[in-house]
Amino acid sequence: MIRPPARSIRLIKLALQSAATAVIAGFTLLSVGCGGDNSSRLTEPEPVGGPALMRRLTEAQYRATIADIFSPEAPVLARFERGLRSEGLIAVGTSEAGISSFSIEQYDAAARGVAEFILSEPRRAAFVPCQPSSEVTFDRDCATRFVTHYGTLLFRRPLNPMQIQRYVTVAELGSQKLDGFYAGLQFALVGMMTSPQFLLRIEQTEENPDDATLEQLDPYSKATRLSYFLINSTPDQELLQAAENGELDNDEGLAKHVDRLMGLPRFNRALTAFFVDMLEFDLFDDVAKDTEIYPAFNSDVALDAQEQTLRDIVQHLNARDGDYRDLFTLDRSHMTRALGVVYQQPVALRSGWEVVPLSVTGNRLGIQSHISFLALHAHPGRSSPTLRGEAIRNVFLCQEVPDPPADIDFSVVQNPSPDHLPTARDRLRAHSTDPACKGCHKVMDPVGLALENYDGLGIFRRHEYGARIDTSGFLDGTAYEDALGLAHALRNHPETPRCLVEKMYRYGVGRDTVWDERAYMDYLIATFKQNGYRVPALMRTIALSENFFAISPVARISDEHQFANHGTGQPSNERGLL
Amino acid sequence: MPLMNSACSSTIPRRKWLTVILSLVMTSVLPLLPARLSAASDVPFVRNGEASFVVSHIQYGLSLDAAETDACPNGMSKNLQEIYALRPEGQQRPDEKDRDYMKRLRGVARAMDTSDDGRPFCLHPELAPADKHFRAVQRSDIPVFGIDLDGRNASNDFPGIDGNDGVDNQWYRMTGCLRSYQSTGQSNAYEIGMLTGSWGILIKLEGVDDIRNDEHIDIHLYANSDPIRLSPSRDALAFATYTATASPKYRATTTGRIVDGVLMSDPVDARFHNEVNSMYLDRPLKDAQLQITLSQDGAMSGYLSGYTPVEAMYDMQFGYRSGRTSDGDLAPESLRSRTASGAAFVLGHTCRGAYQALYAYADGHPDPDTGRFTSISTQYRIEAVPAFVVEPTDCSEEACK
Repeated sequence: MIRPPARSIRLIKLALQSAATAVIAGFTLLSVGCGGDNSSRLTEPEPVGGPALMRRLTEAQYRATIADIFSPEAPVLARFERGLRSEGLIAVGTSEAGISSFSIEQYDAAARGVAEFILSEPRRAAFVPCQPSSEVTFDRDCATRFVTHYGTLLFRRPLNPMQIQRYVTVAELGSQKLDGFYAGLQFALVGMMTSPQFLLRIEQTEENPDDATLEQLDPYSKATRLSYFLINSTPDQELLQAAENGELDNDEGLAKHVDRLMGLPRFNRALTAFFVDMLEFDLFDDVAKDTEIYPAFNSDVALDAQEQTLRDIVQHLNARDGDYRDLFTLDRSHMTRALGVVYQQPVALRSGWEVVPLSVTGNRLGIQSHISFLALHAHPGRSSPTLRGEAIRNVFLCQEVPDPPADIDFSVVQNPSPDHLPTARDRLRAHSTDPACKGCHKVMDPVGLALENYDGLGIFRRHEYGARIDTSGFLDGTAYEDALGLAHALRNHPETPRCLVEKMYRYGVGRDTVWDERAYMDYLIATFKQNGYRVPALMRTIALSENFFAISPVARISDEHQFANHGTGQPSNERGLL
Repeated sequence: MPLMNSACSSTIPRRKWLTVILSLVMTSVLPLLPARLSAASDVPFVRNGEASFVVSHIQYGLSLDAAETDACPNGMSKNLQEIYALRPEGQQRPDEKDRDYMKRLRGVARAMDTSDDGRPFCLHPELAPADKHFRAVQRSDIPVFGIDLDGRNASNDFPGIDGNDGVDNQWYRMTGCLRSYQSTGQSNAYEIGMLTGSWGILIKLEGVDDIRNDEHIDIHLYANSDPIRLSPSRDALAFATYTATASPKYRATTTGRIVDGVLMSDPVDARFHNEVNSMYLDRPLKDAQLQITLSQDGAMSGYLSGYTPVEAMYDMQFGYRSGRTSDGDLAPESLRSRTASGAAFVLGHTCRGAYQALYAYADGHPDPDTGRFTSISTQYRIEAVPAFVVEPTDCSEEACK
C-alpha cells in the first residue's frame, strides 16, 4: 500500500481539526450529560496508567527543593543545562533527557556550595540535628542522625540501612581525611546531593490492590508526584509522614494533603512553573532584539515581561479563582516602568508592580497580547505572523504545525520594503503562493496576522511602512477584525480548555498521554468545564484521581503507537513525523 | 425631485453637473480629511488633551566656533597661568625644567586667585581685580541660535541662524571667546549629567486639541525626579514615565499656543537642577519661553529661552559657590573652591573674568535701585521626546481606584 506523504497527513489532520473538535466537544457534552450542570456527578474512568518514570529535577525544582530542605538563603552556585522540550513541555522532557558530564560538574558545584553553607561554623548548629561529642573525632551516632534526616528529605523517602551505612561511612572517611567531623558531614551531604536518588525523581511502584493488571506508585513516589505537581518542590515532612502512615492510599487522606498543599503559598509556585513551561519562557534566554529597531528592549524588559504574564496568571487563576479562558481577554495587567515604555502606558510606581489597564487606548486584551508572547514569537528585527500563528496553535490550542521544508525560499518575507510589499500580509501572500508553503501558512498566518498591530517587540502600531495594517482574519471558522477579536475567538475556542487540560496532565505525570487515556481526558475536560474552567480545581481533580498515580506495567514510553492526540481524536501514529 | 427635474431638463451639460457635484464633495468632505494627522486624538502621544515630554538633549544655543566667524580677533580668554606666563617673570627660565616651571606657574596662579586675606577669588569674585585678558564677542552681526525674547531688535541683538532677527543672546557674547564653549569644548556638554540621571526636565501640555494649531495650551515645566530612561545607544526612550518634582520651587506653569506646529509659551520663571562634580546647583531661567516645533511622532526640537540671573549663572558655570551635597547641605568650601579653580585652569578662563563679563553683558531684569542688569539672555537648544509625567504618589490614578 502506498502511504501518503507525512506532511500531507499532518496538514489533513490540521484541516480536520476544527471539525473533529466540534464532534469531540459534542460527544463530550453528551457523555457528561450535556455538561454545565453543576449537580451532575462525573465518574472518573478506570485508571489506565503509563510507565514509571525517572524524571530529572528542573532548575526551578532543584532550587525550590534546596530552599525548602535547607534555607532559601542556601546558595545554588551552578549553571543548569537547558531542559529538553518534548510534547510541548519540558516537564515531559525531564523523563527523556540524560545528564551530561557538564551537568554532573554543575550539580557537584551546587552541592558543595550548599554543604559549605549549612555546615559553616555559624550555621551548623541550626542545621545539624545533633551535637557531636567532638568536632575532631568522628561521632557515628550524630553522623547517622544527620544522614538519616537529610537523606530522607533529599531522596524523598527513608534511606534503607545500606544507604545509611554508605553515607555514614563516607562521612567517616571524610572526617578522617579532612580532619573534622563537620568536614565529613559535608562530604556525605555532597554525595547525597549528587546521587541519582536526589537528582532524579525515580518512581517506584507497588501492586494495585483493585486491579491486578495495574500497578500504582508506592506511597513515597505518590507523595513526590503530588508535591512537585502542587508546590513544584520536594515533599515536606508532613507529606512524607503521610506516605509512611499510608494516608495517601485512602481518598480522605489524599484529599486532606492535596488541599493542604494547595493552600500553601507555594501553590502559586507550582502554577507559575506550569505556565513557564507551557508558555515556553525558557526560550527567552535566546531572545535578542535589534536595539536600533527596538531601543526599548533590554534585559529588564525581558524579565519583567515574563513576570508580568505570570503575575497576571496567578492573580487571575488563583487569587481571583478566575475562568482560565478569561486569560485571553484580560484587560488589566501588572506593569513596571520598564514595561510601560513598551506598552506606552504611564506607570506611577517608580519601582515594583502596579495593576493598570493593559491598554488605555483599548488595543490589547489577554496574555497573548503581552510582550512576553509577542516578543518571544518574533524575529530580532521584525514581527512574524507565522511564528505567532504557530505559537497560538501550538501553545494554546495544542495544534501542531509541521516544520517548513528545508528548501523554502524565504527571501520575500525576510526583505521588507516600503515600496514593495510593505506589510507582512503582502509579503506572506506573495510567499504562500508557493504550493509547498500554502497549506501551513493557511493555518498559521490568519492567526498571526491578527497580531500584526504589534511590532517585533510588541509595541502597538497601525501602519507598516506607511501602509495601514489589515488585521482581519479567522480562527477555525470564527472571523475577527483585529487582535481584540482574536482574543475572544481564542477564549471561546473549544480547543483552548482542552489543550490546557492535556498539558496540565502531561505536566503532572511527565509523559504524553496514551491512547487509552482519552476517556480520562474527556472526564477531566468535562470536569474542568463543570468547575467553570477553574485551574486550581482542575489540578485538584487530577491530584485526586486514580489515573494520576496509576502505572501500567506494560507501558513503554518509547512505544510511539501508544500515544494519542486528543485534540484531533485521531490515533497519532504519525505524531513522530510532525 | 426638483433637482432631478432641473438637472434632467437643464441645459447645463452633464459634464458640468459632474463638476458641480465633485466640487460640492470637495468642499464638504475633503476638509474633513486632514492632509496629515493634526487632531490630537490622531496621535499617540496626546491622550485626553495631555501630552508630556522629557528633554532628551540640551545645550546652550550659541553660534559657530570663533575660528569660523572671526568673532574673537583679539584671541581667546586665558586662565591665570597663561596670563602669568605673558609676563617676563612668567617665562620659563633657561635652566628650569618643564615640571618645575609648571609647578611654579601653578603656585603663582594659586596666589593670584586668592585675596590678600586668604579668600579664594572663585568664591568671592567680587573682591578680585579686573581680568584684562577676558575676551568676549564684540560684534553683533554674527548669526546665533535663539529667539527674540523682548520683541525688540536692539543694537546688541544678533541675527538668528534660523533667519530670524533680534535674537537676545548675550550669553553667547560673553562665552564666544572662551575655548571651552567652542564646539570641541567641555562647557556645553553638561547634558551628560542629565543623561546619567542627575537631573532632568519635563514638559507637560494640557488642553491640546490640535497639534498643528491650538490657541490655548496650558504648559508646565517641571524638574524631573527620576533618572532619564535611555536606550542601549544612549538615546532617551519615548513613552517612559517620570515623576514630576513635588517641590513648588521647581515647578512652573504658564500658557501658550501652537501655531503651524510650533509651540510657543508665555514667559514664566522656571528653575531646574544642575550637577557639577557631585555638587547640586540650581539652573534658574527667568521669563522662560518655549519656542519648539512639534512633530507628528511627538519629538520636539527648538528653544527654551529666557534670562539667567547673573549670580546663578556664575555659580552654575564658573564658581559653584552655592553647590550643595545630595543631603542639601552646602558643599565643603574646599570642594567648591578647588572645583572652580580647577575648572578655570582646564577650561581656560578666570573666575573673576567670567564674573565681571557676566555683569558687563547682562541685559535683563535691571536692579530697580541701581539700574544694573542682573540677568543675562540665555538660549537653550533642546530636544524632547514623548513621556508620561505623573505626580509623586504611591500609585497611578487608575490603580489607586
